Amino acid sequence: MQNPYIPIPVDLDKIITEVTTKDIKTFRFTFVNKEDEESFKYLPGQFGELSIFGKGESPIGIASSPTQPGYLEFTVQKAGVVTSELHSLEEGARMGVRGPLGNTWPIEYLKGKNIVIVGGGFAFTTLRSLINYMLHDENRSSFGKITVVYGAREPGLLIYKDELAAWEKRDDIDMNVTVDKGDATWKGREGFVPTVCKEVAPSSENAVAVICGPPVMIRFTLPVFFELGFSKDNIYTSLEMRMKCGIGKCGRCNVGSKYVCKDGPVFSLAELDKLTKEY
Amino acid sequence: MEKRVIKKDALAGIIKKMAESTLVYAPVREEDNLLFKVLEKGMEPLLDFDNAKNAPKNFFFPQTEVMMRYMRTERGKELSTGEGEIQEAVLFGVRPCDARSFVLLDNLFNDPKYKDPYYIKRREKTTIVSLACVHPPYTTCFCTSVDGHPLSSEGADVCLIDLGDTYLAECVTPKGEDLLKKMGDLPKADQALEAKKQELSDAAEKEVNGAVPAHAIKAWLDENFENPFWDTIHKSCLACGTCTYLCPTCHCFDITDEVKKEDGRRIRSWDSCMSWLFTVETSGHNPRTSQKERWRQRAMHKFKYFVDNFDAIACVGCGRCVMYCPVNIDIRKIVTDISKL
Repeated sequence: MQNPYIPIPVDLDKIITEVTTKDIKTFRFTFVNKEDEESFKYLPGQFGELSIFGKGESPIGIASSPTQPGYLEFTVQKAGVVTSELHSLEEGARMGVRGPLGNTWPIEYLKGKNIVIVGGGFAFTTLRSLINYMLHDENRSSFGKITVVYGAREPGLLIYKDELAAWEKRDDIDMNVTVDKGDATWKGREGFVPTVCKEVAPSSENAVAVICGPPVMIRFTLPVFFELGFSKDNIYTSLEMRMKCGIGKCGRCNVGSKYVCKDGPVFSLAELDKLTKEY
Repeated sequence: MEKRVIKKDALAGIIKKMAESTLVYAPVREEDNLLFKVLEKGMEPLLDFDNAKNAPKNFFFPQTEVMMRYMRTERGKELSTGEGEIQEAVLFGVRPCDARSFVLLDNLFNDPKYKDPYYIKRREKTTIVSLACVHPPYTTCFCTSVDGHPLSSEGADVCLIDLGDTYLAECVTPKGEDLLKKMGDLPKADQALEAKKQELSDAAEKEVNGAVPAHAIKAWLDENFENPFWDTIHKSCLACGTCTYLCPTCHCFDITDEVKKEDGRRIRSWDSCMSWLFTVETSGHNPRTSQKERWRQRAMHKFKYFVDNFDAIACVGCGRCVMYCPVNIDIRKIVTDISKL
C-alpha cells in the first residue's frame, strides 16, 4: 500500500528571488529518484505539500507547467514556520514534496475557448503554470485567444518578470501588465486590476475567465466580468485554507461538504455559490 | 453466519488464555475509570460493565502516533523509516455503538483514492469481539436514533450476546470465524437460542432512546448554514474538546514534527474542531472566528457533511459527549431543537 503521507525526496536545484522585498522566491526542485519524476503527473492548478523534516509541511500551488519536464517550481512567500525555513535553505538542500494534490484548472473545458487570465500580487503562480501550459507548441492550437491581466502594487512586486517580457513579445497572447503605482523607471500601465479589466474588456463570447488574487481584488473584479457577460459557470478561481494532510482526512479545510485539498482548490463561481461562505 | 455457544463461566478464562499469546485490548477498571487497555497476562477481562470512557478508535487511530522518522544527513534531514510494523491483536468487549464507528471511519480512512495505511493496517490486523447491550447501559444511549441497535453486530468480527447462562457467539467475518476456532470446540447454537435472542433484542431496543430525529434534520441543515439558531448553542462551550476526543467517530488530526538531536519524527495527533487554532491561517485569517462557527461545524459535519459524502450520520449514539461535557451541552437536545424549527 502506497503511503500518501511520505514525502517524495527532492533537491533544491535553483532559487530565484522574484521581488525587491526579497520575501517571495521561486524554488526549483529536481527529483532524487527518476521513477518519482515519472510518476509525478500533474496539471496546472494542482498543489503540493512542501515538506521540511523538523519543521512541517506547507501546501503551495505548483508554479511550473507539466510541459517543462524534469523539475517542479513553487513560488513561495516567506510567512510561517515552513516557508521561513524554506527561504533560509540554499541550493543543493534536500527536502520533500507530497503530491500532486487537489484538482486542476478545467483544462478539457478550457479547450476551444478564449481564455482570460486575471492575477493579482503573487497569486499568479498556478496561473503562470496554466499560461505556460497553453502557450506550449503542442497545446497552443487547442485554445482560442489568450488575454492576461496581471497586476501588482508596484513594479518591484511583479513576479516572473523575464517571462512577462517574453510573453509580451509574442503575438498569440494579449498581455496587460499593470501596477497600482509606478516608479521613475516604470514605462508600463498604471491602474488597479479591476479598472484594467474594464478597459481591456475581453469578450465573454465563448470565453472563460480564470481569476486569482487577494480577496479585495476579486471582490472588485467579479462585477466587471458579470458586466461583460461572463456567467458564473465560466469564471474559475482557486481557494486557500489551512491544510495538513492534503488528502481529505485531517478534517480542517472543508467548506461545507467539500474539502479544498481534495475537491478543490479550483472551483467555478457557480460551484462556490452552492457552498457555504466559510473560507 | 456461523453461530456458536460459549458457556458464561468459560468466557473470561478463554480470553485470559488468549491474552497469553496474543495482544488483547479489553475494558479495564482503573481507579474510577473504565478504559480500554492492554489485558496484561494473568488478568481476567471484565464481562459485566457499562461502556469504557474512551472510545476504542484509539486502537486504529491512536491519540498520537509516529508516522515516520528521519535523521540529519549532509544534505539535510532525510527519511529513515516509514510506518512501523503492526502487531496482530484482539479488541474485546466493544459495544455495538463503538463497533459501528469503525464502519463509519472506514469510509474515510479507506476511501478508494487515498488510503490511510496506518489505520488500514491496524484494522486488518485486529479482530473485534463485541459484547451486545442486552441491557443498554445508560439513559444517554441513543444508538437506535442513528441507525444502530443495542444487539447489532455491524462492525464486529464476532458479536457476543449474553443469553443468561450462555453467550451466543455470532461470526460476522472470516476473521471472526478464525478467532472462534481458536477458542476451542464450541457447540453450535440452536433455534431456541435464536428465539431467545430475538426476545432480548426487542426488549433492549425499547430501552434505548430512539426518538432523536437525527435523519429528519438533514433537510433543515441543507438550507440553514446561516440561521439565528446557531447563536443559541455555543455560548456555554469552553472549547475544551472533550466531546471530540471521546467521540468514536471524530477523526480530525494534526501533523507535527519533533526533533531530538540528530533524529526526528513526524507524528499525528487527534485534533479538535472546537479549537480556534484548528483553522487559523498563517496570515492570521480564520474562517471560523468564534465558537459559534465551530459548533456549527461540529453539528454540520456529523449530521450533514458526512451524510453528503458517505451517506451515513457521523454519530453512533454512544452518549459520551452528553455524559462528559463539563457544561452539559447535549447533542440530542440540539438535534431535537433543530427538528422543531
